[in-house]
Amino acid sequence: MSRAHDHLIERLERILGPGGVFHRPADLLVYEYDGSVEGAVDTAAPVAVALPTTTEQVAAIVRLANEFDLPVTPRGAGTGLSGGAVAQRGGIVVALTRMDRILEIDPEDRTALVEPGVINLELSEATIPGGHFFAPDPSSQKACTVGGNVAENSGGPHCLKYGVTTNHVLGLEVVLPDGRVVWTGGRAGHAPGYDLTGALVGSEGMLGIVTKALVRLTPNPEATLVELAAFPDVESASLAVSRIIAAGIVPAALELMDNLTIQAVEPAYHAGYPMDAGAVLLAELDGIAEDVRAEGEDVAVLCRETGATSVRVASEKPERDLLWKGRKMALAAMGRLTPNYYLHDTVVPRTKLPAALRRVAEVATEYDLPIANVLHAGDGNLHPLILFDRRQPGAVERVLHASHELLHSCVELGGALSGEHGIGTEKRAALTLVFSADDLAAMAGIKNSFDPKSCFNPEKLFPAGYRCGEVRALRAQALAQKLGIYAM
Amino acid sequence: MNTPPTIDGLTPSALVTPLSAAELADTLAQAAADGLKVAPIGGGTALALGNPPERVDLALSTLALNGVLDYEPSDLVLSVAAGARFADVQALLAGHGQTLPLDPPGDAAATIGGLIATALAGPRRLGSGTLRDLLIGIAVAHPAGIVTKSGGMVVKNVTGFDLPRLYHGSLGTLGVIVSANLKVLPRARAEATLIARVVALDDALAAADRVRASRLRPVALEAALVDGAWFAAVRLEGRPATVATLAAEAAGLLESDTETLHGTDSAAWWRRYVAHQAVHAAPDEALLRFAVRPRATADLVRAVLRAVDGSGAIPRAVMASVGVGTVIVRAALDPEGAAATLSSLTATISPIADHVTVIAAPPAWKRGLDVWGGAPQTLDVMRALKSHFDPERVLNPGRFAGRI
Repeated sequence: MSRAHDHLIERLERILGPGGVFHRPADLLVYEYDGSVEGAVDTAAPVAVALPTTTEQVAAIVRLANEFDLPVTPRGAGTGLSGGAVAQRGGIVVALTRMDRILEIDPEDRTALVEPGVINLELSEATIPGGHFFAPDPSSQKACTVGGNVAENSGGPHCLKYGVTTNHVLGLEVVLPDGRVVWTGGRAGHAPGYDLTGALVGSEGMLGIVTKALVRLTPNPEATLVELAAFPDVESASLAVSRIIAAGIVPAALELMDNLTIQAVEPAYHAGYPMDAGAVLLAELDGIAEDVRAEGEDVAVLCRETGATSVRVASEKPERDLLWKGRKMALAAMGRLTPNYYLHDTVVPRTKLPAALRRVAEVATEYDLPIANVLHAGDGNLHPLILFDRRQPGAVERVLHASHELLHSCVELGGALSGEHGIGTEKRAALTLVFSADDLAAMAGIKNSFDPKSCFNPEKLFPAGYRCGEVRALRAQALAQKLGIYAM
Repeated sequence: MNTPPTIDGLTPSALVTPLSAAELADTLAQAAADGLKVAPIGGGTALALGNPPERVDLALSTLALNGVLDYEPSDLVLSVAAGARFADVQALLAGHGQTLPLDPPGDAAATIGGLIATALAGPRRLGSGTLRDLLIGIAVAHPAGIVTKSGGMVVKNVTGFDLPRLYHGSLGTLGVIVSANLKVLPRARAEATLIARVVALDDALAAADRVRASRLRPVALEAALVDGAWFAAVRLEGRPATVATLAAEAAGLLESDTETLHGTDSAAWWRRYVAHQAVHAAPDEALLRFAVRPRATADLVRAVLRAVDGSGAIPRAVMASVGVGTVIVRAALDPEGAAATLSSLTATISPIADHVTVIAAPPAWKRGLDVWGGAPQTLDVMRALKSHFDPERVLNPGRFAGRI
């Protein structure tokens, strides 16, 4: 290793102590990846991984990175699925997992002040006894961190009723790319100036490193009801979704799983999903007890009217948890069907869901790849799981092509590239499908305003080689993509 | 209407009303080229908001951009041009049993674009949040002569940076909003409002606290002084049978002489209440907004009352959103030395309130102070944003926080 390298490690260790820096190749290996399947996003090795325990340490690391002219990539639990936490251009990874304290829970203000490394589910577990919960609940909630949720503006099944992460973040302590520590937002509303909190949430670690988050807590609902309706096919289940929404009911969650998913889940977890069902719909209703009871009856009737062959109702927690278990463990259960899967994430307007699902089926046939569907049906957020075996030659390429085809179809249906996983490196080439060069220039303006030297999480979100001036090239690229000339 | 409106005593030399987003962007580019300063205007219901502009040459109306661009009721999303009137949009949605669950001041004439730009919200923000929570996509015209969009027509979207949040409350200083995509919600089947007449502020606060601690989830909960009388007000929504049950529970909690209004009477009562928060001030009064963490609302409103009394001002309305932490006060000031009184009033309350905003006051009173109550810590980042989107400071120069 070079002298400059040794000097960097020494300086980092001076900030963090010897246990706070990883720099040996074997220690760095795991930090080359995020949660995505190998081959879906690039991997890259950082020079070092810094594991701060205080805001001041984060600021000192950032100043050091500036001094050494190194890029900085913030990282939570590494459960992301779009390459956001991968140090694309090397440099220093700032892993925030040791900043994992819940600093304050305030039931009266209905807020919690947390460090970024707090695990999503642990926050709710800490606040539920006092009468509140943290509403964003991504499927990785047992492992993912609140800081990561902020960076990716995470969703989850319950955002149908409760909104996504940005609706639950009131203020942020942030280390800016120049090493300054600032607060945006706060406990009181109406802070003067631009809503920088809003700009930071979902910015994929490209604008600042969150060192504290002040989040909103939601009162525990008085009553909760979970219904599981089995349908002969996906179409009738989708119809039920439309009818429930049209009836003016906003369930807390409305999840759909197809037969292939049931085949994986039921033998593993015995959640009680009928093995012969074409699809199951999981609806959760919560709120004031009287309303929940009445809405539960309405939902059951609507499901039967649209062809449900059975409707199970669970009001007590153990039984509700069992019905949810199948959904929450769906990804883990896929191992029963396949050695590998690629988890896709796109979103379409709710009414386009049946069309999008038909397209998924066509792509599965075209590419000869089984695709299981688990979706946040109430939001129009699809998660096709493309099943494959990476040991077969060309399998990964085929999967990626199928996945791009799905992306194009969803955009054509009026959808977006990602509902909750983010763009990262995974989908940056596709950004020009939905945004013009001018749209991208506006986003680049945000980036430049926070990070003029582009040292925070470089080479993410914007198409590779993106410069504000390359308008013509981008337009040509967009045109090529529309014509189906898609180069990976 | 071709007469430009007056903004804090300044009258622009012309009012232009572009017929399309592209034309609006061209107008901005031309203004930038000619060195003109532009004030974007929607319904004109909140022109009093902000510091007096440094200069304004051109008033730019969005009122000709007033169509519904896309509305698929089953998708629960709506795309609407910025100049569409909030009231007209609500009427359209009501026809499909849907609504934007908001009660901003100036609702009869306010436009969607204006409400996004000003981030004004009424008492309902307790239960339903604000436009910030409903905004899923936006298109904005910039002085570079371009229209940029961000977000989309889906309710869950992490494709690119979240610009809709950035434009919300940016007072037209980064660009002129030309259209917005919004989440809509099913309309509640029933609503009821309980108004508990009480003797004094503390009774109103105590009643409101009992409701907040109960199982009730009111969409609005206020402790207020209006027309010389103190009261607590609770707004409930839900299914008819549930609302009836909850209203009876609320009446028990309020423990006083309580009036209950249902359906349209309830909605009409809130329209009258929110009218007291309208963004204008009579020649002898100021409208102020104070914000604290929710748990400090009671202390804040007491401190505000003391300060108002101490300054010799007369409170015409005091409206505290319990559970939100916002107190809005409309007070009459002796015109003699009013500017100094206003300054000392905001200075007295500043140590107690996190944010003090003079929402509306006669222009002469505003000149000596920053209506936003000081510059934010991140002003340099905000200035960088401003200089990216509007380097010539064409749009509303000086009006926004930090006199951006």
